[in-house]
Amino acid sequence: MPVFPTLFAGTIWQTNVTVIATIFLTGLIIFVVLRVGLARMDMRRPRGLQNLIEWAAEFATNMARETMPTEQSVNFILPLAFVMLLFLFVANWLGLIMSITVHFNPPMSVWGLTPSDLAGSKGDIELFDSPTSNMSMALALAIMVWVISHARGLRHPKQWLRHFYSPSPLAVIEEITNPLTHGMRLYGNIFAGEALLGIMLRAPFALHWIPWQLPLIVLWLFYSGFVATIQAYVFSILMCLYVGNKSFEGHAHD
Amino acid sequence: MGGVFQVGTFIFSIISFLIVFFFIQRFAFRPLAKMLEQRRQHVESQITEAEKSREEAASLLAEQRRLLDEARKEAKNLLDAARVRADEQAREILLKAEEEASRILEENRQAIVRERDEALAAVTQRVAELSVELTAKLLHSHVSPELHREMVAEAEKRLGELVC
Repeated sequence: MPVFPTLFAGTIWQTNVTVIATIFLTGLIIFVVLRVGLARMDMRRPRGLQNLIEWAAEFATNMARETMPTEQSVNFILPLAFVMLLFLFVANWLGLIMSITVHFNPPMSVWGLTPSDLAGSKGDIELFDSPTSNMSMALALAIMVWVISHARGLRHPKQWLRHFYSPSPLAVIEEITNPLTHGMRLYGNIFAGEALLGIMLRAPFALHWIPWQLPLIVLWLFYSGFVATIQAYVFSILMCLYVGNKSFEGHAHD
Repeated sequence: MGGVFQVGTFIFSIISFLIVFFFIQRFAFRPLAKMLEQRRQHVESQITEAEKSREEAASLLAEQRRLLDEARKEAKNLLDAARVRADEQAREILLKAEEEASRILEENRQAIVRERDEALAAVTQRVAELSVELTAKLLHSHVSPELHREMVAEAEKRLGELVC
């Protein structure tokens, strides 16, 4: 089990510093790319990076239009959908592109970790990873979406109350399962991809020199990249769907 | 530890994501959205403008065609009227010329008749005088003036009967 540098260790506020740092790194990457791409923004003659960014914005817009009931709710969710799409895309790829691990031998007390923690991970501390391969972080995003969707639903309290029982009372169960599956799907896909990648990377060569796992790693890398991209899309479109389901102003007249 | 739920990671993830979201939304997405909106409006206005100008061109073309038709019709009318008037004028001129010709002819005929009559009268008188003189010479002047006058009248009368 890999361990990470930890803040507030031993308390309930225990925080994974790697996750927080990579969230900011992801944000920084997106911010810089967007700013560079839009630095010489031209309404009439888009070129280069601007085309790519516009394509991404259009993709996010179409995604929101397909899932949201009204244009008003599309406008509400569009910035979040755009940022979430790019954020998850970059975040999911981070761990595939590289991972940084420091090795401490013998196990010692460092970065909020106890020697027993270090012993559990054979002295390895992960400094760089996909933020989304952390369960707490993936669930945090899912719960955030859940809160946003209900906050939006509460703008029409009557319909918000009714939608819990009106088609069937099972909707209440969905309120618990939806955010859970939403977050766990993301976490599971990304974590599984990176975990298997890590295991294969650490596997010893056959006869000490034949890199038998190399083709498998390349294959798995391609597959994980595919999954990372797909999961970014799936998470974003589900977010639009959940928020859209609770945007009641679209069906206020029925 | 990635698989263990940590409250701190959970909360700080949301906070950091919201910070990241705020910055990207404020300083990268908003200009982009503004630009896209601007472009959308620009394209829309261009399209409506093009449609309007096309309609205008069509109406102008119809107007021009109508004016051309009118002008052509008017020209045809003018030409027709001119032709009718010309025909009339020609007929009038012809009529007048014929009248004039006949008038001149008549005048000349009358003049000829008159002159012929005058000449005839003169000749008759002269012949009468000559014949009387001749007669008088033949009779060796045994003619009194009264008789002479009588004879001249007689000769003139006879000659007039002869000529006419």
